[in-house]
Amino acid sequence: MTMTSIPQSAASNEPRKDRLRTRASSVRWARRREVLREVMRNPLTVVGVVIITLFLLMAITAPLLTEANQPDPYQSPRDWANIDVGPGVEGHVLGTDSTGGDVLYGIIWGSRLSLQLSLTVVISTLIIGTIVGSVAAMRGGRLDNFLMRIVDVFLAIPELIFALAIAAVLGPSFRNIILALAVVFWVKYARIIRGEIIRVKQTDYVAAARVVGDSTWNIYRKDVLPNAVTPLVVQATLDMGNVVLIGAALSYIGLAQAGLTEWGAMVSAGQSGILAGQWWVSTFAGVAILLWALAFNLVGDGLRDALDPKTEGR
Amino acid sequence: MSVAVEHPNIGPSAASGSGDVMTLHDVKVHYPVKEGVLQRVTGAVRAVDGVDLSIRRGQTLGLVGESGCGKTTLGRVIAGLVPATGGDIWFDLDDSSKLLMERLRAIPKDSMSREDKALWSQLESNHRLGSMSRERQRIYRRNCQFVFQDAFASLNPRQLVRDIVGRPLRVYHEASGNDLDLKVINLLERVGLGPQHLLRYPHQFSGGQRQRISIARALALNPEFVVLDEPTSALDVSVQAQILNLLVELQEDLGLTYLFITHDLGVVQHMSDYLAVMYLGKIAEIGPTEDVFSNPLHPYTKVLRDSNPSLEGDDLDGSAHLRLTGTVPNPIDPPQGCRLHPRCPVSQPECGWQVDDMFQSLETSTPASFETITRVERSGPFAAQLVMTDDAAARHLHEEITSSRSPFGRAVETITLDGANVSIRLREVEEIPLIPVAPGRMSSCLLAGRPGGINPPSESR
Ligand SMILES: Nc1ncnc2c1ncn2[C@@H]1O[C@H](COP(=O)(O)OP(=O)(O)O)[C@@H](O)[C@H]1O
Ligand SMILES: [Mg+2]
Repeated sequence: MTMTSIPQSAASNEPRKDRLRTRASSVRWARRREVLREVMRNPLTVVGVVIITLFLLMAITAPLLTEANQPDPYQSPRDWANIDVGPGVEGHVLGTDSTGGDVLYGIIWGSRLSLQLSLTVVISTLIIGTIVGSVAAMRGGRLDNFLMRIVDVFLAIPELIFALAIAAVLGPSFRNIILALAVVFWVKYARIIRGEIIRVKQTDYVAAARVVGDSTWNIYRKDVLPNAVTPLVVQATLDMGNVVLIGAALSYIGLAQAGLTEWGAMVSAGQSGILAGQWWVSTFAGVAILLWALAFNLVGDGLRDALDPKTEGR
Repeated sequence: MSVAVEHPNIGPSAASGSGDVMTLHDVKVHYPVKEGVLQRVTGAVRAVDGVDLSIRRGQTLGLVGESGCGKTTLGRVIAGLVPATGGDIWFDLDDSSKLLMERLRAIPKDSMSREDKALWSQLESNHRLGSMSRERQRIYRRNCQFVFQDAFASLNPRQLVRDIVGRPLRVYHEASGNDLDLKVINLLERVGLGPQHLLRYPHQFSGGQRQRISIARALALNPEFVVLDEPTSALDVSVQAQILNLLVELQEDLGLTYLFITHDLGVVQHMSDYLAVMYLGKIAEIGPTEDVFSNPLHPYTKVLRDSNPSLEGDDLDGSAHLRLTGTVPNPIDPPQGCRLHPRCPVSQPECGWQVDDMFQSLETSTPASFETITRVERSGPFAAQLVMTDDAAARHLHEEITSSRSPFGRAVETITLDGANVSIRLREVEEIPLIPVAPGRMSSCLLAGRPGGINPPSESR
């Protein structure tokens, strides 16, 4: 080999390596797209995604669709001249309630509350549950036993009742509903991720990483978590719907502030008018709740089927 | 992390020359059996139950035995994947430290001189698994790798081949970035894969290719010793041969030491220098492969050889074929004495017959009288009083046992008849050790050292 050939080959190697580097991420993205395509093959999942997208658009563009009420946009503006008018009345497409609050306005701004509620609760409980479940499963032994006994106690009480008790103690406000739901929802995630981690820990690829001498943290990060997280993602998606359902139930029984554009509170407010034929307030708010919960359940189920570890990637 | 991580002399030259890569003394792995809601420990699966073994540097030790006899567990305990529950495992002993280790081990700890104590603890911190210093532990970890039986299960499905094979290099800061890619490509080429495979997921490969990937990973750190746990048993026959050839080639090029685990004698015949035969957590026989094949010194080895269709037609010793009776006993409660004796075609009265083995034997040979036993009162593993349905049944059983020409019949020391009761005392036998019976050969069969060897006595043929 001559002296000149060495820098040459080194130089010619550089661009090739850079190409490799970019290709690695494009391979990973291709794989993600593949999974996404698999998920979207189910028409029901697509329906769910469409509904969720519409709700998201509604929440984002609320200040454009309606003029925000001052000072608190989450209180319907009162139109005292049009109390209890039915759908289709000029300026009130979905009618008004007994205080002149516009139902459409409530639904639009309520979608923001629902999004806030579900995102806050699901993200915070996902983090807490993942940490608790991971520590329990990775450490094992007495700490695991201790944490899982706590989880068992939580799981023994039905979600709705538990959240209701906490919210009642904390006093009626939307923030307390979020807090109550957060206290209740983390346990399920802790349970799920713990079981998955214990399963993954017994696999040969984790043994292979140990034989190579990698650290527990790296094994957790690279092997355990990525292979344990799928059922958690599914459950979190389902819970984006469930949280709103239970949150609505809590505000329905009066645990949110009065007059709030929260869908559950609206169902409650419209209830007294139903016997008098004023069906629209409760019905439209109820439909909004159901659509929201339905959409996330459709997507969650679709994810569960598409990401089934038995079929995925094999 | 700094670049200047010190690497004390690692790689195959860590301890050059001869000696043992691994030395095992009375190694046990008992998995606890938990039962009930409270998960109480009620017993133990004796997966590995007292194994002595030396793996010589540069050689291949074959480890054969039926499925479930503890081969994988033994491989895993050697690779440090499973802790030993008993005995000790030594890494990288040269001949003189091995002699020292053996001398010191024989001395009870409390009567050791201070000098010897110091030597012992130094030996432990340099060589003994579980007691090694961090630095030595690191060297052991780098130099002892493992190839799993199910290659697919041993590859993280969410990682690209580049990250799987390059992982060991990352762990020890051997390479990163472009350098890592180049090194991984080299490793892939060494196992017969190409650069085009770098950025693929494990599910995009065939079984043989996956095993090549896992071999590449095992070789990434240039180890000295690799445990191969049935590396080809999940593959098609044609692919098997390719992988075996690759392993032989790599061994020659890199001077590797292998522990080659398999249930297939035909595979191991051409791979290994030494052969250890395992049965129910214990080593039945060990010796140079050719000798073990041509002249087995344990009935179990002979049974394995004779029952292997791929070996038929080989010029064997022309002796009568042996067959086992019954099925593999439960490793939670294995037979004492020789593990094989309840199933052994040539078992002797001294092989360790116990009351439980006697029942097993009765159940298969004379089920009618076995069913007339109503109650059993044990007094230790070798004695029991049987309560029969009636006097006639007791007489019948008494007659059957005393007239029995079977080894267990001859293992009966006293048998007394008292109405419907039969009291039996069997010959007490200690554990049967693995002992040298010929130059370079060890066997745990009592017959191995005797004139007729392990072949069936002529009277019974
Ligand atoms: N993690 C474990 N926990 C409990 N028992 C085990 C475990 N691994 C293996 N065993 C038991 O130990 C015995 C030996 O198993 P193994 O070492 O896999 O044998 P082989 O590789 O020879 O087939 C079997 O009875 C098996 O059921
Ligand atoms: Mg095995």
